[in-house]
Amino acid sequence: MAAGGGPDVFLVSVSGEIESGQFPGLDELYCKFCFVYGQDWVPTAGLEEGISQIACRSDAAAAALVWNLPLDITFKSTNPWGWPQIVLSVYGPDVFGHDVVRGYGAVHVPIEPGRHIRTLPMFVPESTSRLQKFTSWFTGRRPEFTDPRVVAQGEGREGGTIFKLHFSPNFCL
Amino acid sequence: MAAAAPRGLPPVPSASRTGFAEFSVRERMREKLKAARSKAESTFLQEDSSPRPRRLKSIREKKTQGRLDKESDKDEFREMQEDESHISSKVKFRDSTKKAKQKPPIQNDFPSAEEAYKFFTFDFDSEAERKKTGIKKRNELNHEEEEAEEEDAETHEEGQEEDETDEDVHLVKDDDLFILEQEAQDILVEKPAEYESYSEQLRKEKEFLFIPSMKAVPASQKMPENMQPRFLEDEGLYTGERPFVSPSNLNILENRILRQERGKEWFGDDGKILALPNPIKQSLTRPPIFSLEEGIEPELETLYRKAIKVTAANQYLVGSGDFQGPFQLDIDISGLIFTHHPCFSREHVLAAKLAQLYDQYLARKQKNLTTLLTDKLHALRNAVQCSIEGGDAAAPKPIAQQSIPEYKMEIRQTRRLRDAEQEKDRTLLKAIIKVWKEMKSLRDFQKFTNTPMKLYLRKEEVDQRLDEKAYEAEIQDEINELLEEYREEYEKKMEEYKAELQEWKSWKRAQKSKKKKKKKDLREEEESIDESDLGEEPVKPVPPKMVNSLEIEQQVREKVDSFRRKPGEPVLIPELVLSGSITPSELCPRAEVLRREDVKKRSSFIKVLFNSKEVSRTVTRPISSDFRVHFGQIFNLQIFNWPESLKLQIYETTGISSTTLLAELFLPVPETTVLTGSAPIEEIEFSSNQRVMLDHEGVGSGVSFSFEADGSNKMTLMTSGKVSNSVSWAVGEKGVPLIPPVAQQNTGIASALKSIDAIASIGTSGLTDMKKLAKWAAETKLDPNDPNNAALMQLITVATSGEARVPDFFRLEQLQQEFNFVTDEELDRSKRFRLLQLRNAEVAEFRNYKEVPLHEREISEKIFQDYEKRLRERDVVDSKHYLDARRAVVANYLQKVRESVINRFLVAKHHFLLSDLVNEEEIPSLGILGLGIFKLAEPKRPLKPRRKERKKVTAQNLSDGDIKLLVNIIRAYDIPVRKAVSKLQQPSKHSRSFNEMFTASPSAQSPGENIDWVLNQVLVRPFVEVSFQRTVCRTTTAEGPNPNWNEELELPFRAPNGDYSSHSLQSVKDEVFINLFDEVLYDVGEDDHERGSGIHTRVERHWLGCVKIPFTTIYFQARIDGTFKVDIPPVLLGYSKEKNLGNDRGYDSVRNLSEGSYITLFITIEPQLIPGESVREKMNEMLKKFDTQEDEKLLQAAEKYEAECTSKFPSRQCLTTVIDLSGKSVFITRYIKPLNPPQELLDAHPNSSQITAELVARYVALIPFLPDSVSFAGICDLWSTSDQFLHLLAGDEEEHAVLLCNYFLGMGKKAWLIIGNAIPEGATAYVLTLEQNQYAIWNPSTGCFYGQFDTFCPLKNVYCLISCDNIWFNIQEYDSPVRINFDTSKAKLWKSFFSRSSPYPGLSSIQPEELIYQPSDKAAVVELQGRIEKILKEKIMEWRPRHLTRWNRYCTSTLRHFLPLLEQNRGKDVEDDHQAELQKQLGDYRVSGFPIHMPFSEVGPLIEAVHSTGVHTIDIPSVEFALAVYVHAYPQNVLSVWVYVASLVRNR
Repeated sequence: MAAGGGPDVFLVSVSGEIESGQFPGLDELYCKFCFVYGQDWVPTAGLEEGISQIACRSDAAAAALVWNLPLDITFKSTNPWGWPQIVLSVYGPDVFGHDVVRGYGAVHVPIEPGRHIRTLPMFVPESTSRLQKFTSWFTGRRPEFTDPRVVAQGEGREGGTIFKLHFSPNFCL
Repeated sequence: MAAAAPRGLPPVPSASRTGFAEFSVRERMREKLKAARSKAESTFLQEDSSPRPRRLKSIREKKTQGRLDKESDKDEFREMQEDESHISSKVKFRDSTKKAKQKPPIQNDFPSAEEAYKFFTFDFDSEAERKKTGIKKRNELNHEEEEAEEEDAETHEEGQEEDETDEDVHLVKDDDLFILEQEAQDILVEKPAEYESYSEQLRKEKEFLFIPSMKAVPASQKMPENMQPRFLEDEGLYTGERPFVSPSNLNILENRILRQERGKEWFGDDGKILALPNPIKQSLTRPPIFSLEEGIEPELETLYRKAIKVTAANQYLVGSGDFQGPFQLDIDISGLIFTHHPCFSREHVLAAKLAQLYDQYLARKQKNLTTLLTDKLHALRNAVQCSIEGGDAAAPKPIAQQSIPEYKMEIRQTRRLRDAEQEKDRTLLKAIIKVWKEMKSLRDFQKFTNTPMKLYLRKEEVDQRLDEKAYEAEIQDEINELLEEYREEYEKKMEEYKAELQEWKSWKRAQKSKKKKKKKDLREEEESIDESDLGEEPVKPVPPKMVNSLEIEQQVREKVDSFRRKPGEPVLIPELVLSGSITPSELCPRAEVLRREDVKKRSSFIKVLFNSKEVSRTVTRPISSDFRVHFGQIFNLQIFNWPESLKLQIYETTGISSTTLLAELFLPVPETTVLTGSAPIEEIEFSSNQRVMLDHEGVGSGVSFSFEADGSNKMTLMTSGKVSNSVSWAVGEKGVPLIPPVAQQNTGIASALKSIDAIASIGTSGLTDMKKLAKWAAETKLDPNDPNNAALMQLITVATSGEARVPDFFRLEQLQQEFNFVTDEELDRSKRFRLLQLRNAEVAEFRNYKEVPLHEREISEKIFQDYEKRLRERDVVDSKHYLDARRAVVANYLQKVRESVINRFLVAKHHFLLSDLVNEEEIPSLGILGLGIFKLAEPKRPLKPRRKERKKVTAQNLSDGDIKLLVNIIRAYDIPVRKAVSKLQQPSKHSRSFNEMFTASPSAQSPGENIDWVLNQVLVRPFVEVSFQRTVCRTTTAEGPNPNWNEELELPFRAPNGDYSSHSLQSVKDEVFINLFDEVLYDVGEDDHERGSGIHTRVERHWLGCVKIPFTTIYFQARIDGTFKVDIPPVLLGYSKEKNLGNDRGYDSVRNLSEGSYITLFITIEPQLIPGESVREKMNEMLKKFDTQEDEKLLQAAEKYEAECTSKFPSRQCLTTVIDLSGKSVFITRYIKPLNPPQELLDAHPNSSQITAELVARYVALIPFLPDSVSFAGICDLWSTSDQFLHLLAGDEEEHAVLLCNYFLGMGKKAWLIIGNAIPEGATAYVLTLEQNQYAIWNPSTGCFYGQFDTFCPLKNVYCLISCDNIWFNIQEYDSPVRINFDTSKAKLWKSFFSRSSPYPGLSSIQPEELIYQPSDKAAVVELQGRIEKILKEKIMEWRPRHLTRWNRYCTSTLRHFLPLLEQNRGKDVEDDHQAELQKQLGDYRVSGFPIHMPFSEVGPLIEAVHSTGVHTIDIPSVEFALAVYVHAYPQNVLSVWVYVASLVRNR
């Protein structure tokens, strides 16, 4: 947990995979992941961001979309504050073939060593009005977060900026 | 043995070896061994037979000598002999020599003992083996044979050894001849064996051994002297159960302990060993696991459980497969009693009240708290008495001593409680009597009786004497206690008083001595001293008063009188009976008859609702005259659903028709233990807020009425009552309770736990039922003294006594202490924690601090030093860095303002709008949709070129090197040209007027001059150098005053800290410097002979001027395209401005309007960045939340106006409210007000208003420019008023513009403030004036003015105009000043804020009435001038470290003379004079130099300006320099600084 010489740090090594997702009624989705971490954290090795292949629904495993996208990253830090979070965003085509967002989700990297399975509920922001909902459905430009990292942050959730969220179901990590 | 030399081998076999060489090895070995044996035998025999071993020795000697040819055996032998003395002890047979004492020392010839030993113990085998190996080489024989041989050899050897031992025996016997040096007598001592007699042994053992006896120790031994053991349990103290130890073992232990010193400490007051209570629980807390199968560990056993089908809702018991039959709930509704009903007569009301009070009385009597508390009080008093007496008798025990004050405290508390209870009793009794009396009087008054109630007061006579005695004793006790209490308090106070008095006295004494001294010295001042001293004098403490015992007595007696029965007074016991008779209706008045009839009409019934569904209802029963309804019905509910709620609804019907819901009440679902038959009838109260008014005697509900005749003392009663009912679970035919299975399971839980765990026994819901809890506590015989049960016992006592005593304190978060893992002080001391806190608070120094170290020790104190220093120096003005103390104050103040702005900004940064987080398409408007459709129908025109929009890049995913700044330098006009040194030009003074400017008249130079000039023209070879972020690029050198470069320069851009987010880019402070230079080639081939062979030139660059463009402007504008005025010093020595035209007349009209040089540029960023506007929007949002003193309506109007304007022209900024220095929103027009310029300026040119205006503009421009929001690029401007601005002497464009506008208004001009966009400032404020039907645009920060149609006007867009009473927003198609109409009266072009419909409300200005100017301090200015000059000279020398810097004083003094002149002419048209003058004075020098003019704020910028011109870079050896500084002071300390720098090279 400590490195010689310089100031003491601890290392957190994360490896895992984005296994599969359950998006009933949706198909041909791909997912994007990135890590969000605090000021005292520095990634030392591995990929901070990544994007998966497009997965089609499998007949066997209860309509799961299997990505098996490996994650491997190592952080060093001096402070548990700002523990890394993985942020996932899933995209896929809508009825007209536009690429739209299908879900956002975030979860902290487990704080205990060992094998963990995390299931993330995914959600997307909703249009502010019914008319906008229609136009966005029609044009294929649905509301998205300016930065997917928002879902891992606490800021901007206070009064004034309340957005409706539409939950779509689970996701295995 | 093997180590021994082969000395001892007989020679025979060796001799015979050759002879037997052919024989097999075995044979040979046998032979050999045989030989060896025979030899040995023979030698033994020899030895034996020969009495003298000398011979043996000689024989051996011979042998060895014969065998070992040249070995010096003798020496070796001697050595051995010597050795032998050391190792003699090893030798076996030596022991026997002890006895041979008288033997003479050994001779050399004799074989020594060692020798002999060696001989006999010699290992022949090893020799044999050695042989063997030799043989092996010669004969290849199999190993088996060898092994066999070996075996043989071993057996032989053994035999030999046996022989040897035999021989030893022999040897010992006749070994008399051996002797030892040491004798046995020296070592050995003879002594008789020691023996202790057994008795002695026992005696000794007794001394330190102890066998504890098993007999019980008498208590007296365990206790201190003269003490009786106490029995704590009997005294009411908690002892706990002791762990079991067998009595005999306990006795042993006690005896053992008592043997020790201070052993008595081990025993408690009760004479038992101090012990903790038994920790062992009576029963298992973990349920035991029983194994069904043998051989399998119960923990590992698998159990089969039938799959359970989960039903959707568990409440439906029917759904489950194992339905166990119907469950039944019995609801018994016996009756209804109204405690108030609208039909109550007044008498009924009183009767109800009486009944209620009586009930209360009965309840109190049953509890009898007073007696209880009195008894307790007595007991406590006795206890105190006992302990005090006991303390006298024996040595006072500390515990007893301690408990006395506790007891006393308890006594006080109990007494207080007792008094309260007594008072309540007494008042209750009084109230009962009072109500009864009222009732009687009412009955008398109305002459009929409605209720059968009667109250009897039974008197119980008491023995007067006894009673009196008790009464007195009680009073005495109380008085004593009170006295004691007061005395304690008095003592405490007295102590305090003494301390205070002591302090006061010492102070007094000091005062006196001081006074005396002073008196001696100055008597006249005595009075004043006295007065001043009196003020500080501490108050003389007042001694506390001892309370008089008489007073106390009186107090106590009064108190007792008020609520205690007087002695001798009979005890009154009220009794309520219902035996009275009711007056029949015939005898009653009409109103009463009506009431009774009404009551008869009324009836009521109750609905039973189970899970909010009506399941049954009672029959309707009439309300009886005493307002009781009897139902007496039992409902058996067969239920399938789990009961969630059980509700009763009480209905009342009047007559036949109307039915009203009186009240709803909820019944608790019974516990599973409540079964039919055992369930008690409970009364549940209800009340309704129904309002009923009646026209007869009935008092009604919710209506106020009064008993008094005058209508006072009104009271309002609501319909209320009680329903007596019971709810229980039914019992089936076989006595099985019909309770749902969930509950049944619960009851089946191990009953063993019942006595241990309250929850297991009575269920969690039982915890809320105090009665059950109390019952359980009593049943399980909980030890009430056990601290573990303290909370429970308290709960029970509180709940059962009916009234909780509220403690004297309230504790918030009582567990907080436990969760604090570190004390607050420690936390505060932690550096790491502090660092984290500061970072979280976004303190400037730590805002972006990354990787806070893990350990405290890794954080150096240095981190905080800067921060602490800043905190300390926040209020300390350090004038060291500033030449002017005033400026230091201002700088400090501005720093604070800036900090507050930054803090606000940081707050705003954390405030997100929806659009910041979510990207959402806006709803397309109809227009856009229509346009889209129209576009589809548009014919395709492939040949029409279309501008492709560049791809915009969001700033997030960029990194270093991605962004480039493209600077395209196209051309320049009117660059100053070099002047021929010898040529003296006619001074042509030239000053423009407005007229000239606007009419664009051609200049007045004669063509003759023109031609002359062209002929003598010296080329200028200009080039442009662009520097940005320390990267420098230059163009090629062009020729002539109107060069055309058309070159693109590419400069990389690097964001601060690699942060490419938009707000980071917005705060980039870097500027793009575009410097114009002249490249001068000088021929330096000095010698004639060199000149022939080669050309040697020196390249010099002369700075001509520069243009500065801040990066943020480029960032916000995306591209900058235009012609800019080059900032050229007013005088460039050696250069002159081309005033008139050469060959190209095309630019005529353009150029002669201007007098500066211009450069055409195109700047952009590649790739295009999306300017982040979000911060500004957010900031505006935030700003709206700031305080304001403006009218709410005005603000709303402003918001609406802004919204309207920006919706039409989103790019045009509309400004209505701004923030003042104190952070409040202020309506913008309040800033505009005519103000007086300094009189001095007005007086300077009294006859020319235009020059005066220019002078005023110059004055304003001289106030240093200091953007208040450098870091946020105009996001949050703070507008200071003009007086604040003049006081601070620093401000940005808005302040300058406001002041200038106000001055113009003050001078009687028509002036407006323009909010617009200019290059290079970006969003800015200019001033518009109307001069002789022409509009002039003034740049307040330079003091220049431009005509409306001036193409070189830096103002590019006009957004709105602001006057002192209105705001006009530009709604014209274009916003360039050249293309718009400034006539604000046209509503189509300008949208005004205040119009006819909403007129100007006459807002008062926030500007002062008049500005007051302080004249500047001339002396200070002169001093400052000297200092600046010195500093600059030092700096120039510093910049030229490798060269000698010579100062030409003559030139300097000449330059110094020029400067005031320059100031006077405001830098216009004086250069020719300079040139001439210098030429005249200096003679043959090539002079290049220029004056720099700046408003003065600090020295730093001056130094920078001088440095940037690069004057010091000339490295011609003979160069000389000249530098002169002139500071001109304007009123209010506005300083104009001129620095004249020149380099001189002597011409040859």
